[in-house]
Amino acid sequence: MVSDTNPHFEDVDAETVDELLEQMVRIRRFEEGVLDEFSEGSVPGFVHLCHGHEASHAGMGVAMQPDDWLAVGGSRLHGQYIVKGVPFDEIMAELFGKATGPNGGKGGSMHLADVDRHLYGHAATIGSGQNPAAGLALAQQMRETGNVVLSTIGDGGTSRGSFHTALVFAAAWNLPVVYIIENNGFAISYSTQQQVGIDSLADYGKPLNIPSYSIDGSDPVAVYETISEAITRAREGGGPTLVESRVTRLRGHFEGDKQAYRTEEEARESNAERDPVTNFQERVIEAGHITAEAYDALVDEIDDEVGAAIQFAKDSPDPAPSTAYEDVLRLPLYGQGEGDA
Amino acid sequence: MAQTQEAAERELTMSRAMVEAVAQEMREDDDVFLMGEDVADYGGIFSSATDLGEEFGHDRVMDVPISETSYIGAGVGAAQAGMRPIVELMFVDFFGVAMDQIYNNMAKNTYMSGGSVNVPMVLTTAVGGTYNDAAQHSQTLYGTFAHLPGMKVVVPSTAYDAKGLMHTAIRDDDPVVYMFHKRLMGLGWMPSPSGPKTDVPEDAYEIPFGEADVKREGSDVTVVTLGLHVHRAMAAADALADDGIDTEVLDLRTLVPLDTDAVLDSVRKTGRLVVVDEDYRSFGVTSEIAALAAEHALDDLEAVQRVAIPDVPIPYARPLEDEVIPGVDDIEAAVRAVRE
Repeated sequence: MVSDTNPHFEDVDAETVDELLEQMVRIRRFEEGVLDEFSEGSVPGFVHLCHGHEASHAGMGVAMQPDDWLAVGGSRLHGQYIVKGVPFDEIMAELFGKATGPNGGKGGSMHLADVDRHLYGHAATIGSGQNPAAGLALAQQMRETGNVVLSTIGDGGTSRGSFHTALVFAAAWNLPVVYIIENNGFAISYSTQQQVGIDSLADYGKPLNIPSYSIDGSDPVAVYETISEAITRAREGGGPTLVESRVTRLRGHFEGDKQAYRTEEEARESNAERDPVTNFQERVIEAGHITAEAYDALVDEIDDEVGAAIQFAKDSPDPAPSTAYEDVLRLPLYGQGEGDA
Repeated sequence: MAQTQEAAERELTMSRAMVEAVAQEMREDDDVFLMGEDVADYGGIFSSATDLGEEFGHDRVMDVPISETSYIGAGVGAAQAGMRPIVELMFVDFFGVAMDQIYNNMAKNTYMSGGSVNVPMVLTTAVGGTYNDAAQHSQTLYGTFAHLPGMKVVVPSTAYDAKGLMHTAIRDDDPVVYMFHKRLMGLGWMPSPSGPKTDVPEDAYEIPFGEADVKREGSDVTVVTLGLHVHRAMAAADALADDGIDTEVLDLRTLVPLDTDAVLDSVRKTGRLVVVDEDYRSFGVTSEIAALAAEHALDDLEAVQRVAIPDVPIPYARPLEDEVIPGVDDIEAAVRAVRE
C-alpha cells in the first residue's frame, strides 16, 4: 500500500512535535560541526553527511522505545546514532578516532556500535546489516522481550541479495522487525531509476506478503506515524514491515564528491524544495507551535553542545597503538601484541 | 543403540559424539539453538544433528531456507543479543555466498566495536573430499578460515575430540568455526578409516582450544597434521616403523589458536618436519607450520617437506582425486625424504 499523504502535525501531540523538531535540528547542527572539523582535517577517513535524511531519522528515533534495537545500515548514519541516544561527545570522539569513542577508535563514522543503547552498528558492507537485524529480532522473539528491531538501508543496498534474503527470513519467522529503506535517489552516483525499473522499493515486500509502505521521508510526522504503526504491529506479533522512506540527498555521497552525475541546478533545486529541516522549521513556526525566537534559542543551545563535543574530542587522547592488538576476540589468543620478536 | 548402554564410556562415531555435546548443551542452556539446512527433520546430511529435531522441536532446531546469508547473518545478530546459536553451513565450499556475514560481521564485530560486543556463535561445517564429489563439494579450506582474524577454528579428528571440542566451542564467548570431516563422521555410505571411532565419556567435558595432541610419540621425524590426515599419518607411521623409522604424529586439533609450543617442541626433538594438509599447498597450513619452524627452530631443523593438495581444484574421477589428495604413501615418501 502506497501512501502519499502528508499528515498535519495536528495528528500528533505537541510533545512529539517538539521531539521531532529537536532531533532534526540536533542532527543538522551536529553535522555542520562535523563538516567544519572534517574541513580542518580533524576527522580522518570519509564522512557521509545526513543532510536531507533528518526527518526520516528523527521520525524513526522518536517512534522507538529505548529498548528497541536499531540496526543501522547504508551510509548516512550519524543522525541514526543521535536519535538512538548516543551523546554528541561520544559520537564526535569516535569520528575523531579517539580512545574515548564507543569503539575506542576502531570503528569510526560508519561502524559506531553501542550495545548498551541497543544500537547495532557494524554492517557497513552495504546491504549486509539486514541479516543480523533478523537475528536480533529472532532473539527478541525467542526470549519474548517485547522489543522490536528497526533496520535501515539505502536504496542502493536493496540490489544486494542479502537484503532480500533478510526479508525471506523475517517473513518466514514472522519476526518483530521493521525494515526501512531510505531512498534518496542515488547509490553514490547511480540514480535509483537507472538501477531498478520499479516505482517503489516498498514493492520488494509484496511477494512475501510483508506489509509495505512508501512515504515522504522528508516529513517527520509521516515517518513517525508509519514507523509507530509498524512497531506496534511487530510488538503485537504481527511480523515484519517494509517502509520506503523517500528522502533527498542534499550533499554529495561523501564530502569531496564532485557530483559530476548531477547538475548544480539539480542539486540546488533539491536543496530548496526538499530540505526537511527548513521545511519543518517553517511549518512549526507558521502553525504557532514554536516562536522564531524559541527556535533560535534551541539552535543556540544545540550548537553549544556541539562545540563542547568537538572540544571533548580534541582533548581526548589518541588510542594507544598497543590497543590495536586488543579485542580481536573476547578471549585473547596467544601472541597478540607481542610483535614479531 | 549407544543410549541403552550402561557404561560411562562407550565407543561412539564422531557424528554421535558431536551431536551428544550439542544435545547436552541444549538441555543445560535455553539460549543454545541450532539453525541449518536439513538439520531438523533430516538430522543433517552428514549426521551432524541426528535426532536433535525430535528432542528439541522446531523452535530450537530450525530448518532454514537455502539462504546462507540470511541464516548465518541471523546467527550473528542473535549471538550479539545474548543467544548461543549453532549455525551449520552444509558444505564449507558454500562459504562464498555468505562470506560477508562470516567475515565482515561474525569475525569483526568484536574488534570493530572496541570489545563492547561479542559473538558467541558456533559455525559448523562439513569439510573434505575422498568421495568423488568434485571441486565444489570437496574442499577443507582450513587455511582460508584460519588466515582471517577474529574467529577460532576447530578441526576434530576423533569422536573423543569432537565431543570435547564441541562443548568448548558452544561455551566459548567468541565465534568458533567447527569443521568436521565427512569421512570421519562414521556414515554408513562413507566408511571411516579406523581411528575416529573412540571411547567417549557420557558426561560433558571440555577440550581446551590451542592444545595439540601427540597421537604417537617418535624420535626420528615429526608429522604435523589435522582432520582425516591424522589417521593417514598414523597408518604411514605404522608402516614406517616396520623399517625402523620412529615417527611422531601431532594432531593440531585447533588451528586458531595454534599450539605453537607443541609444534616447536617436537621439531626441536626430531629436527625433521613433514606437514600434511588436505588443503591447497600454497599460502596454507603447511606453509604456516613450516614458517613457524623456520622462524623459531631453524638451528634444530634438518629438513622440511610439505604434503598437500597441489594447487588445482579437486577433481571428480577416482584416479584424479586420488592423485591430488595426499595418501598414506605420499606421507610415507615425505618422511623417508626428510631422513635422507
